[in-house]
Parts: sequence; C-alpha cells; structure tokens
Amino acid sequence: MASNAITGSISTVREDRLMKRVFLSPAVVILFALSVFPLIWSLGISFTDMQRGGSTIARQAEAEGITEGVGFMGMGFELTGRNYQRLIGDTRLHSTVRNTVVYVFFGVTIQYVLGMGLATVLNQPFRGRNLVRVIFLMPMMITPVAAAYTGRMFFDSNALRSPLAHFLRQLSKTLQLEQTLSVPWFTDIGWAPVAILLIDAWQWIPFMTLILLAGMQSIPEDIYEAARVDGANVLQIFWRITLPILFPISMTVILIRGLEIFKIIDVIVVTTGGGPGSATESLTLYIFEQALSNGNYGYASAIAYILLILVIIFASVFLAVGRRWAGSWER
Amino acid sequence: MPNPKRKRLLPRSSRRPLWQSAMLYLIVIVWCFIVLFPFYWLITTSLKRPIDVSRGPNYIPYVDFDPIPDHWQEMFGSQRESTFRHFRNSLIAAAGSTLLSVIIGAMAGYGLSRFRYYWGRLGWDNDNIAFWIISQRFLPPAIFIVPFVLLYNQFGLIDSYAGLILAYTMFNIPFAVWIMRDFFNGLPIDLEESARVDGATRWQAFYRIVLPLSAPGLVAVAIFSFIFAWNEYLFALMLTNFNAITMPVLIAGQNNTRGIEWWFISALTLTAVAPVIVIGLLLERFITRGLTAGAIKG
Repeated sequence: MASNAITGSISTVREDRLMKRVFLSPAVVILFALSVFPLIWSLGISFTDMQRGGSTIARQAEAEGITEGVGFMGMGFELTGRNYQRLIGDTRLHSTVRNTVVYVFFGVTIQYVLGMGLATVLNQPFRGRNLVRVIFLMPMMITPVAAAYTGRMFFDSNALRSPLAHFLRQLSKTLQLEQTLSVPWFTDIGWAPVAILLIDAWQWIPFMTLILLAGMQSIPEDIYEAARVDGANVLQIFWRITLPILFPISMTVILIRGLEIFKIIDVIVVTTGGGPGSATESLTLYIFEQALSNGNYGYASAIAYILLILVIIFASVFLAVGRRWAGSWER
Repeated sequence: MPNPKRKRLLPRSSRRPLWQSAMLYLIVIVWCFIVLFPFYWLITTSLKRPIDVSRGPNYIPYVDFDPIPDHWQEMFGSQRESTFRHFRNSLIAAAGSTLLSVIIGAMAGYGLSRFRYYWGRLGWDNDNIAFWIISQRFLPPAIFIVPFVLLYNQFGLIDSYAGLILAYTMFNIPFAVWIMRDFFNGLPIDLEESARVDGATRWQAFYRIVLPLSAPGLVAVAIFSFIFAWNEYLFALMLTNFNAITMPVLIAGQNNTRGIEWWFISALTLTAVAPVIVIGLLLERFITRGLTAGAIKG
C-alpha cells in the first residue's frame, strides 16, 4: 500500500497488483486443497454409507451382479442419515466424548495452575535463571510418543521396575504404613486417565510457564512499586495486578492448550491403547479406529464432525467469555 | 513493545529474606529434577542389561549396575538398516516440509503485511484472511483422516515422502504465516521503499532486503515447523506403511513387534529426541521469542 505512494507510476501499480497475488496464492491454494476441500468433503462422506472397499449398497449390487448406476446418481454409494442416528446409541462414543472433555478440562486446569505457579517463582531474579529456562524447553520439544514411553516406565506399578513405584514403597516403609502405597496406574479405570493427564502435563507445563513468564516480565516494575507503597501484600499484588494484566495471555495459552488436548492420541496409543475397556480412549483415537481399523469412512466422518463441533463450541465460548471478562476488568 | 528479555534488577533495599530464597531454589530444583530425571532414566535404561531393568530399580551406573553398550551397538549394528532408514525418513519429511513452510509462510506473511487484500465475495480484508489462515491450525486433525486416506490413495501418495511433506506443510503454514506477518509488521518499510525508488522490483526488495532482515523470524518458523513434523505421529501412522515410516511411528510400534524391550526402546527414543533437543539448546532464544510472539500478540 505504501509503495504506490512513492512513485505512483502505472507500471508499479500493475506490478503490485500481480505481486500481491503471487505472494499470498501458494498458501491459500494449499489450504484450500488440503484443508477446506477435505473439510467439506468429509461432511459429504458423513452422509454416505462409504466404507473401505466399497459402500454397503455397492457390495450388495455387486453380489447381485449389477455394476452400472448403483446408489446415489450412480456414484456407487447411498445418501443416508444413518451415521448420525448411530451416534445416539453408541455408548463407546459417549465414553470417548466424556474422556476427551475430561482431558481438556483437567489438563488445561492442571497445566495452567502449575504453570502460573512456576512462572511466578521464575519471575524472581536468581542465579542460573537462563539455564533453567533452557531446561524447561526440553520436555515440550520431544515427540509425545517418547514422553509416553517414558511415562509408561514411571507409572509401571512394579516396584522392581519403576522408580515411582519404588519411591512409594520406600515412602510407606519410612512412614510405617500398614499397606504399601501402590497405584495401579494403567490398569485401573480411575487412575489410567490420571496417568495420561500427568504425562501430558509434564510435557506442557513448561510451555505455559515460559509464556506466562514472558508476560510477567513485560509488566513494568513501577506498577508493583506503586502497589507496595500503598501497602499491598504479595497475595493482593498477585490477585489485583499480575492476574488481571496476564488475563489476555492466559486466555490465549489456555485456548491453545485446550485445542491441542482435543487432538490427543499418541500418548494414549503408547500407554493404554484406549483401555482398560475404553476408559482412556479419546475421540481422535476412536475416529482413527473407526476409519482405519474398521474402515467405516462414513461413520468416522460423522464422529469427526461431532469433534469439530465440540472444538468450535470450546473456542467460541472461550473467546466470548474472555472478551467479556477482559472488558469488565478494564472498567 | 517492551523487551521480554529485559533484566529487572531489584533495588538493594527490597532484597528478599533468606527463607524466600530457600523456597525459590527448592521449587526450582524440584521442578528441574522432575523435568530432567526421565531423561536420565532413559539414558541409564539404554545402558542396562535386561535383568537390571526388571530387577531394580537400579539408579546409578557402576554402583547399582554395570552399564553395557550392547543396545546401542545393536541399534547401529544389526538394526542399523532400520534405524537409519527411519531416521532418514523423519529427516526428509521434516526438512522438506520446513523448507516449504518457511518459503510459503514468508511470502504470505509478507503479502498480508504489505498489501491490502479484499476478497469481495466474502467481504474479507487482511485481518479476516489472517484469522482464517490461523484458524486452520486449530482444526482437529481427526477430521482429515478419512479425506486424506481417500485422496492419498487416489493420487498414489500413500507411503511417499511427497505425501508426508505435503501434509506437514499444510499443518505448518498457518503458524508460519502468523509469525511472519507479525514479524514483517514490526519491520520498518523505509528500506524497501528506498530500494524500490532505486529501481528494485517488489520481488527483489523482498528477496534482497526484507528476507535477510527477518532471519530471526525465519529461524523461529523453521524450528517450529521442523519440530512439529519431526514429532508428528497420527498422520505418519496413517499415511505410511513401510518405506516412509518415521521415527515416532517406529517407536510406538516397538510395543507390538518385539515385546517391550525397554532398554532398546530407550536407546531408540534417545536417538529420536536427540536432534530436537540439540536444536532446542542451540537456538533457545529463537524458540522463546517465537512462542511469545505467537501467543502474546495473538
């Protein structure tokens, strides 16, 4: 926009009109081809009986020896709302939805609270702060598959193998408890999701911390100075100054992490595979299994749209609430 | 914008009492322990005999157990072909998609920062377009499973490098555009303008003047793209079946093919995380800056 003003020549204007398309097009083309189109296409698939190796109706027709003009407009599949009816009675789906919501809610809560606590601590000047910052980056750089395997070693209930179980046993000996403390991490319906939440938290608390810390460090010191002069204590300063100022950043990181946890699959595949039963199965894992293990393309797409709707609800509630609260704080 | 790395020195009068310092160091040390101990455990486990793994836990090498290099020798010896192939696959997929994401992201970021767009039919201006692009990043990947499998089968992209690179580029572009647009917005326009007065074309101004100046942003985008593609699991699992399998899929599959050989898995895991850890340690400041640029201004 600015360069036109300098020369104002027609050739520049024409060049810019071309160049602005050249600059933006590759990104837009790729996103349309690989994101928008698949998104719309899978909505279409969710209303068909498509399966791996041909739809139900196409297979029936083949058995009867009909090859031409099968299904909707002769395209070899049938249009149907059955996939969406099936959602209602699928109890395994209901438990995966519940698990996913639990992962998102508790995952975000644990990570935000602990991340904020650590950021508050790290905001104090101390020796070796830069080293600590580097150490903090390490978990979030590694592949979740690796974190999950390591977590599996730690949450093993066998005290001969796992340092954590060993520690708990030593602890109960020292405290002379009657029973040895032992947690059936991956075999118990209640504990298995906790183990997965903890693995994810180990990996992503540092992310929360680093971003909240950067936010805290951009708060000018004189605000704190003024509050201290007015006699505010540490807690009041945190509640009345730090937290409100960090509110927009907090909303952003919680939104980012929440949306990421909606995608969780790798940690679950490596640790429990969705079990015991389907106690740890996430929506993404269930969709993957419906699509690739069972080959139910239509049904998998319908579930994927349920996930998309959940994600959209989460994001919009968050953005709306965030905006309102931010407004009330400013006043 | 205030510099987030600015050091704030406390005046001497407000130094904290000793117990607060003690608490501070305690918390920091405990958390560093929680972060670092799993890495330590991976390293020691990769050096243990199977019996030392199952009859333990053994903590300290030479005291609790005698470290052996066997599993590393196995990995780079008899398993050499498999290790190298998967490592190379990861490298090609990650490097290829990084290169594309950086180029395409920088171009679109520059466009959105310097030109005025208006998509008449949708009534979208630059901000709408940028928001639309970043929102693609947050779509659940599960929704792409079925269409990608069908599409990739159709075009013979299953189990190919091109297929992985394309998919990862698509996932990386939104973030790349977002960061680069932000970066270019902070770059003064005068230099380009004077170059153009001197007769440089738009492209020359972008290529010769703007890109060299935005090296920190490009590095941040490159790091994030590389790490994302290097670590990705779901699409690698879905879109490969033999030739193009990447490290995360190889590791996750150890479970089924060989039983749980923790010692070998640990060695393999360390090999898979080593590159990103090295990148992280060397380029820490770019990462922190990129993270905060993405989150704080977003």
